[in-house]
Amino acid sequence: MTALAKRYWHALINQKKLFIYTFLWSFFLWITSPFLIILLKSVGRNWFGKRWLPPELTLDWYKWALTIANIPQVLSNTLIIAAIAVTISTLLALPTGWALGRRKVPAKEVLTSIILLPRMIPPIAYALGIAQIFYRLHLVDTHLGVALAHVAICAPYAILVLSSTFEGLDERVLEAAAVCGASQLRTFFHVTLPLVLPGILSSIIFTFTTSYNEFTLTLMTYGPHTITLPVRTYLAVGEGYWEVTSALSIILIIPSLFVLFMVQRQVQPEKLVGGFKGV
Amino acid sequence: MDDNMIELRNVTKRYGPIVANANVNLSVRRGELMTLLGPSGCGKTTALRCITGQVTPDEGRVFIDGVDVTDVPTHKRELGMVFQNFALFPHMTVYENVEFPLMIRRVPQGQRREMVMDALRLIRMESYAQHYPRQLSGGQQQRVGLARALVYHPKVLLLDEPLSNLDAKLREEMRFEIRDLISRLGITALYVTHDQAEALALSDRVAVMNAGRIEQVGTPDEIYESPRSRFVADFIGLSNFIRGKVLAIERGMAIVAVNHIKLMVPAAEGTQVGQDILVFIRPNDVRLFPVDFAKAENTFEGVVHKLTYLGDTIDYRVIVAEGVQIRVQTDGKVRFNAGEAVKVCLPEARCRVILE
Repeated sequence: MTALAKRYWHALINQKKLFIYTFLWSFFLWITSPFLIILLKSVGRNWFGKRWLPPELTLDWYKWALTIANIPQVLSNTLIIAAIAVTISTLLALPTGWALGRRKVPAKEVLTSIILLPRMIPPIAYALGIAQIFYRLHLVDTHLGVALAHVAICAPYAILVLSSTFEGLDERVLEAAAVCGASQLRTFFHVTLPLVLPGILSSIIFTFTTSYNEFTLTLMTYGPHTITLPVRTYLAVGEGYWEVTSALSIILIIPSLFVLFMVQRQVQPEKLVGGFKGV
Repeated sequence: MDDNMIELRNVTKRYGPIVANANVNLSVRRGELMTLLGPSGCGKTTALRCITGQVTPDEGRVFIDGVDVTDVPTHKRELGMVFQNFALFPHMTVYENVEFPLMIRRVPQGQRREMVMDALRLIRMESYAQHYPRQLSGGQQQRVGLARALVYHPKVLLLDEPLSNLDAKLREEMRFEIRDLISRLGITALYVTHDQAEALALSDRVAVMNAGRIEQVGTPDEIYESPRSRFVADFIGLSNFIRGKVLAIERGMAIVAVNHIKLMVPAAEGTQVGQDILVFIRPNDVRLFPVDFAKAENTFEGVVHKLTYLGDTIDYRVIVAEGVQIRVQTDGKVRFNAGEAVKVCLPEARCRVILE
């Protein structure tokens, strides 16, 4: 009786395991299949019809992408714009986040919602407005112009992350530093800065990837000199070269993966988790 | 100058219409452990912050070791302080936390290491040097806080409710550990708390604060046995207050009329005939006797109204006259029942006159 029950139980457990593995693998495939297809497409030649895998492998499409799509130029545009957007957003968000996180600000909730508004409404709705203003100011097709458009959605992220970072900064820890003999300047460098640095870093990473990936706002403000990677990829679709477009997509993905990897390795989890509260 | 290590002289601090400190005078003598005791909102934190320099008094001066530091910024006051929430630096190890004040003072590296390890040894935390604060228990964190405050041998040690974030049992252990540490080091300490038991157990002297004023300063014994105001009596331990009128004063004893009863009480300074006063006595100083007990000083008949069993003591409410209820705590050796007639004795020497 017990043996039977045991055997039955094992079967049940194994079935459960089987089910879990099946589910996880399906999920994994579902997430990765678009990337896989793009990857195969970007290195395959003569891959038509009902074949499962491309018959020939080639790196030609990447060469095409680099020359025809002018990748060095486009990538440098993208990075310059992202750098400007990150800088402006961070400079805006540092004081704003400090005020929201540490000061008594009247109507804080209303202010926060207003700041978050650009993230709530579809960019296409106000991108048009931005474009019209920028045409008048001759900001269209400049790195600064595109970056400024990006700030509209990058800054809210930065403000949100930084205000909660600063809010988590324990006033009494700073007081403790003063009692220990540290002047304001030394308190800042030895205590405040190390405690908020992870927050600032994650804000920078967030804003960088946001700008790097941004499509809609770029589309409305770019010009021949300021084509970015997402827009270039989109244009390539229109040109009809699926293989080149796939190669572009892969190029587009690589820096994001790099950032993801960096976040995992460089930002020490124990300084991010574990809290700023000191307990 | 005199031997006061910390001195607040006529310190007044207002926050808008609220007077947090009203003409506070407080002096802590060299090598003394003084407790600033009071309920929350009584202004003890403001007084402490005047000493640390986080609050600048509107009026009055602050002295540390005879030097007027009223306008000296916090970081130049050479203080050691232990915080209620520990306030350790979360991004630093225990070692780095304790090293911080030395690092700030640019103490040479070799000497620094020695001092840190000395401080850690003092609190028996040497083996935790490389831990981060969040890996420690509350009690351990507070011990590190203590080490950080003591490591550079500050002139005074300030403790702001250091035990109130700990659980009851640990609190009691830490109480003695802190007491022991402070007397071993001979450092001057000001201990701020709202816990009267802590204050009585720890201090050389206690300053009781209420509504922005210092009500009484004295040894724990004085504060407990001879409170000078109703607030002090009430705040520290259980109390009976019996309202009465002074009929006469004879040889230092006031005869106080309470309804038809007359009480003999040692007269306080300034007691006057005809004055309405309060007679104060602790419930565990009141004695209960069977009703046939022979007459003694300040003894009256009463009826047990209510009793509560508290384990080591029994808490009685005895009505001795109309509207006069006396609370009595006795050990459980002789027991009385509710409704039983008893004799209540208020020993003269245990009674105090409190002027209102």
